[in-house]
Amino acid sequence: MVAHPGEATRPYRLRPLNQPRPIRVEADESGEPQAVVLGRERLAVAAVQDCWRIDDEWWRERSVSRLYYLLLLEDGQVVTVYQDLIGLRWARQAY
Amino acid sequence: MRVGCVWVLHFPVAVERRNRVALNRCSVLIGEATEQRGAVLDCSTEAEAQGVRVGMPLRQALGLCPSAYFLLPDLPRYGDAFDRILHSLEAVSPLVEPAALGCAFIGLDGLNGHYRDEMALGNGLAQAVRHASGLTPSVGLAEGKFTARVAATVSAPGEVCLVPEGQERRFLAPIDVCLLSCSRDTLRHLELFGLRTMGDLASLPLGAAQAQFGSEGRRIWELAQGIDREPLHPLKREKSIREHLAFYAPLISREALVAAGRELLTCLLGQPAMGGRAARRMTLRALLSDGRCWERAIVFREATADREQVLCVLKSAIETASLTAPIEELSIELSGFAGETGKQQGFFWGNGRQRRQVAESIRQLKARYGRSAVLQVVEVEPWSRIPERRHALIDYDL
Repeated sequence: MVAHPGEATRPYRLRPLNQPRPIRVEADESGEPQAVVLGRERLAVAAVQDCWRIDDEWWRERSVSRLYYLLLLEDGQVVTVYQDLIGLRWARQAY
Repeated sequence: MRVGCVWVLHFPVAVERRNRVALNRCSVLIGEATEQRGAVLDCSTEAEAQGVRVGMPLRQALGLCPSAYFLLPDLPRYGDAFDRILHSLEAVSPLVEPAALGCAFIGLDGLNGHYRDEMALGNGLAQAVRHASGLTPSVGLAEGKFTARVAATVSAPGEVCLVPEGQERRFLAPIDVCLLSCSRDTLRHLELFGLRTMGDLASLPLGAAQAQFGSEGRRIWELAQGIDREPLHPLKREKSIREHLAFYAPLISREALVAAGRELLTCLLGQPAMGGRAARRMTLRALLSDGRCWERAIVFREATADREQVLCVLKSAIETASLTAPIEELSIELSGFAGETGKQQGFFWGNGRQRRQVAESIRQLKARYGRSAVLQVVEVEPWSRIPERRHALIDYDL
């Protein structure tokens, strides 16, 4: 028998999944990513495979405006990053 | 690069004639007959003499040669016969390139030490083909694939034509330009310009050939000179294992065929050659009682060594097969060996007892920590364009 911890049981909680993670991206003058820093490694962008923009929740106080890039890096891995067009920060996130 | 070319004239017809001696005395046409149209796949030299050509509509061919013996193509049998020839040639040289049904190139560099002279090497190639198939090839030996092929084409079956190094242009000079590998348009233009032999073409300056025929002009001009830079592309053989089962009485029942297939699979999957690996491809071959072959190649979605899974595919293939006659022999070949793909089992998919055990564990964890330690992914706004809005984790309770 397991002892009761004495803690009240809590209602169901929703935990977010696939949250964007901040990332360092070096972009050229036009804003296109040139290199990405993953951990301690700086990896040059071999090709921009796709690029798309989302604008959503404009009726809210914190609207969403992002420019996503699907990048092929020099070591062969493919990552999806976006630039927050409001805060101008870069983040990595699977789309 | 010294290259040999072995060529069996009208290979499909030669295979049919090998199996049916009666066909030796008549014209033969092989073609796929459909309701509206069909084309000649191959024809005998007798039919060719009456104007029949490969690719010609069958209706026209039968009009030109009404006494011809007509056969439906038995492609698996031709493929099998050619494969035996390739295997036999690989015993002579490791570099063997299949060019077309009945024609193969062989890399000869480094083989001279094994034979008395080059003629003996050519005879060795012809002997290998005869031994493997019972068919007599023409053999050409030359510098480059093109000249070797032309040498084989102009030789009679059983002959070896040897083109010494440096003599290619002289050898090709009297040969008709129709043996050049180029488009019909170019051939027509060559004829219009009165360039009938390769010597005529080779005597032109390169610039003139290029100006008239573009990049193809350079290629055919070089070929006519005996210059062929195209490398040999040797056959890369894939490892495979094969088992066959011959029946005392031809089988008609598909259930019996499935049972035979089960036996063969058990035998194949237990072979040490599988080496704990899984197969990606299965080829089924059946020899029908009318002498024809039925063949079906199946590629699995993922490599598997699971007998029941393969058997399920096998059943479906046999049930949907259009077999025109009872089956005398069934063979199964497995190839494309790879590591077996791991399969993720569902945490909550087990049988009743397993589910009860999981439920009990979750209940105990919840009692101890006040929350469930097992979480489940749920859809929240799967339609959302914002990725983090689509799914979330929630405490799991059974």
